[in-house]
Amino acid sequence: MNRSSIIALIILGAILAYFLTFGAEGTRNLQAGFYKVMSPFLSSGSGLKKQLTSVSSGLQTLEELEKENGSLKVENRSLKATNQALRDVEHEVNRLRQALAYRERSLFRLVPAEILTRDSSTWWRTMTINRGKNDHIEPDQPVVTDEGLVGKTATVGDNISVVLLISDENCKVACTVEGTREQGIVSGERVTGSVTPMLDLNFLSKQANLSPGPKVYTSGMGGVFPSGLLVGTIQSFRVRELDGQARVTLAVDLSHLEDVFVVTGRK
Amino acid sequence: MIFFAVLIVLTFLAQIAEFFIPPLDWMYNARIYIVPIIVFYGAMSLPFPAVMALAFFAGFMLDALTVQVLGGRVEISVGWSILLYAVLAAIMHGLRPLFIRGRWEVHCIMSGVCTSAILLSQYLMISFRRGSLFFTREAWWQIAGPGLIAMLMAPLAFWILHSLAGLTRNPYRPDQDAYDAFE
Repeated sequence: MNRSSIIALIILGAILAYFLTFGAEGTRNLQAGFYKVMSPFLSSGSGLKKQLTSVSSGLQTLEELEKENGSLKVENRSLKATNQALRDVEHEVNRLRQALAYRERSLFRLVPAEILTRDSSTWWRTMTINRGKNDHIEPDQPVVTDEGLVGKTATVGDNISVVLLISDENCKVACTVEGTREQGIVSGERVTGSVTPMLDLNFLSKQANLSPGPKVYTSGMGGVFPSGLLVGTIQSFRVRELDGQARVTLAVDLSHLEDVFVVTGRK
Repeated sequence: MIFFAVLIVLTFLAQIAEFFIPPLDWMYNARIYIVPIIVFYGAMSLPFPAVMALAFFAGFMLDALTVQVLGGRVEISVGWSILLYAVLAAIMHGLRPLFIRGRWEVHCIMSGVCTSAILLSQYLMISFRRGSLFFTREAWWQIAGPGLIAMLMAPLAFWILHSLAGLTRNPYRPDQDAYDAFE
């Protein structure tokens, strides 16, 4: 090994030692700074992906039309494309109208946010949104939609935030079960092979004997999540050695989310 | 040096691209990782100090973008991915003579193995942190799946990167025994 290699190893070792001494706050600041650098790229990437998705869905429609009507003329294609574009606009309008209505009737102060990326790693369920410190977002604030709880903010940059999804094992939420006095802690799974992950509601009483159907709401314990946010629906219940555990179907379809709201306080 | 800069830019772009590549639901949500393939090609086509710099860059980006800080706790400290990339890239660098002898398949297989090794190490670290270790079928697929995909992608990726190395007149190409130029 020559001298330059040894110097490279020493420098790398020194930097590593420096990084490994970082605590939670240092790491959070480092990540926030890095996300600040990355946010233009992630925003551009998100926009590009939406355009590509839109183009590919348009092409798919044309393909289907081609199969069904081999003799379609150019004018018909043009009309179909226009209709497709109008449908996209209509979908967008409906989505925003729904979001606006939810924001107005909600008891909370909500900051609307658009999802930039989702689930970027294997072991953590996260997504990034286009709101940050500049919009008064702070770490550990609940993220919701009109359908229910989505997760909570983790790392917050100036114009971008990482949201830890409720389907992550580390996102633990105190919950109550509708129509009962049962309380427990909901958390996601460490590894899931499905696009629609399930949640576990732990620490229920062994006598709970829950049948499928009741809704699960946040209880407000712990201070991060206000009470009354819909989390999901009980799917099954089993008795374990020390407690009862229920499987919960998520209220929100995390794989198809486009917009969310960050709860910054009560109105 | 030009090729080193090219690999840094490609690593950066690949890391951003990984954000937008959805997991493969038919493979138990296994993900596609491009960055390791680029880093491991760099391990064969760059001098050792540049390999370490590339491993540092890739590991730092991975940690900065994926590591979770929860309350006052960090699941995997910033730096572990740098260490993982550095060790694995050093191993790949050490196997460079095989590539020169035309055994390119060894490096393609190793790219897959090393990709899975990174994921396995991360899984072991978070399991240790969370206090329970279990391996389900899904977990195995999410560790091995990206490795298998990396193995399949490696020949094409290596060919493209090899062409880029030629275009940039990188003197340290795997097909040239040019150690002396950097010693």
